[in-house]
Amino acid sequence: MPSWEDFKPFIVTGLALGGVYALSGVGTVVLYRATGVLNLAFGAVGAMGAFISWSLIDRGTVPDGIAFLICILFGGVVTLAYGLAFGPPLAGRDPLVKATATLGLALIMLGAMSWIWSDKARSLNLPTTNSSFEVGDVLVNWTQVIAFALGVAVAAGTAAFLRFTNVGTAMRALASDREITATLGVPVLRVEAIAWLFSGLLAGASGLLLANLIGLDAATLTFLFISSLAATLIARLRSISVTLIAAIVVGLVSALVTPILEISQYRDMAPFVLATIALLWLSRHREISFARRAG
Amino acid sequence: MRARLGTGDGVRLGVIAALLLFCLLGLPGMLSTYWIDVLTLVAIYSVVALGLNVLMGRVGLVSLGQIAVLALGAWIAARLSFATGLPFPIVLLLSGVLTMVLGTVIGLPALRLSGLYLALITLMLAGTITVVLTATNFPNGGSGFLGYTDTDQGGTAMRRPSIAETDPAFYRYTVVVAAVLFLVALWHVRSKPGRAWAAIRQSEPAALAAGVNTTLYKLWAFALASFLAGVAGGLLAGSVGKLFTFQFSTRESILLLAVVLMGGIYSLWGALVAGAFMKLLPALLDDWGLPADLLTILFGVGILQVLLTAPGGLAQQFPRDMAKLGRALGRLFGRGSPAQEAAK
Repeated sequence: MPSWEDFKPFIVTGLALGGVYALSGVGTVVLYRATGVLNLAFGAVGAMGAFISWSLIDRGTVPDGIAFLICILFGGVVTLAYGLAFGPPLAGRDPLVKATATLGLALIMLGAMSWIWSDKARSLNLPTTNSSFEVGDVLVNWTQVIAFALGVAVAAGTAAFLRFTNVGTAMRALASDREITATLGVPVLRVEAIAWLFSGLLAGASGLLLANLIGLDAATLTFLFISSLAATLIARLRSISVTLIAAIVVGLVSALVTPILEISQYRDMAPFVLATIALLWLSRHREISFARRAG
Repeated sequence: MRARLGTGDGVRLGVIAALLLFCLLGLPGMLSTYWIDVLTLVAIYSVVALGLNVLMGRVGLVSLGQIAVLALGAWIAARLSFATGLPFPIVLLLSGVLTMVLGTVIGLPALRLSGLYLALITLMLAGTITVVLTATNFPNGGSGFLGYTDTDQGGTAMRRPSIAETDPAFYRYTVVVAAVLFLVALWHVRSKPGRAWAAIRQSEPAALAAGVNTTLYKLWAFALASFLAGVAGGLLAGSVGKLFTFQFSTRESILLLAVVLMGGIYSLWGALVAGAFMKLLPALLDDWGLPADLLTILFGVGILQVLLTAPGGLAQQFPRDMAKLGRALGRLFGRGSPAQEAAK
């Protein structure tokens, strides 16, 4: 068993990773609650944004800052465009169908990425990665701080937004019943568009941070989203605060397993195992019931 | 139940038999080893697609982990093949049965979850299987339980059945096994389980009220899909000889879902189309010098198109389009269209 000293640096990586998971988790939950769409293309869109950012920096056409901003905007624009084009026609369908449709977008992004940027090792460095400070004797860089802080801040901000603003209330209403919400005069399409855009911007931001923290690889970034999905599943796609806690736990557990050599190579399955156990545990008392919303 | 055969069925059976004979006897002589290997993969993946086709089209359950189940089947088959001297058909059967047991054990608790959550939990389990396989690798003749040895030569290839050592012979062997498995699936769909599944897909409460044991039949569907993937895994192990984890990525699972949807989930033919989409199209594109990534994009567009406009997929759309084309051509020649006159 490794000593406490070996674990210390991984607490930092774990918290940073947890912050990004929280970021994508919140984006997923908000979108799911407002539109009923579980966006499985979340990771792919963020990854594509990161690649575009890398290309812009590589060519030197725009300043780095603008390139990073474009990554985030790309996430927002693509997700919003998808939402506007495919949201309404699929609105009345089963959540499973809506989620499956987003796999289409994920495949388009994946195909485009491996076509345009062939599988080659690349790295995307935020300027904040280069400056660091020490806590105890562990080196912490500013990107890690930003990732964690942003995750917590966005989760807190979103929870407050949903609770206290009109649009937030409308989103919560949509989560309960789309038809009744529409009858009450809520501009459903506009509220949904806001959710798509917000979720997309978070996809871009998560893509940028993950590309920095983990590495710029299309498949890795796309499927790392499944790990953050684990956190949202633990929250049953509902609670923002549970998503935040679950995301940080998932991030911490997968990072802290690293120094334990016996199981280190199995660390990537930590999110899946946690999510599976949580889901089965949460559904343990469920009888087969057919309680469905009327309508 | 004894199915009654009408004249339409007779013609259909004849066409299928002729097609099968052509695939078995005609094709191997006409093609190079490369294309025969590709067609072997098409047959194997249509069996995997068949499992997902039944799950999605008949019962209305979505699994995002069929490729991981395929990997499980391939691992079991390779392990059995290296550890024992069992004949190949027994290895196939055992890998099917063991995979089925594992799939059912995994599926049992998951059945409490419905729809979207079930699909997501299969995605999580697939991820878990992939991580484990990345760590353990596939058996290649090494010692111990895992049977993996890290040699420069890359280990020993898995043995093939003695009657099908060569590539064309193994291709024929695979086609026969696949045909048998399609018949198994057809029997399921046409008899009691099929009717129970249809009832469940329409409405679970109604099925329950009609006395259908919904849990049993849902589990049965999972078991069948896992069995099919298990046998397909055994065939895959025999076909390629050496297995690598990257062949069974999550991306492949999503691609499988795409091709199964595009092939059409309400007809077993859809599974055949899906197999061709999955393995033949990439080979063709490669042959024509086009990037295979183009196909990934097309499959993505395909998912969206199928879900929005053509839930029946190609298996339903193609005959309909052909009939339309036939009618259009009939009208064209019947009237002697002005366009044709002008062309002369």
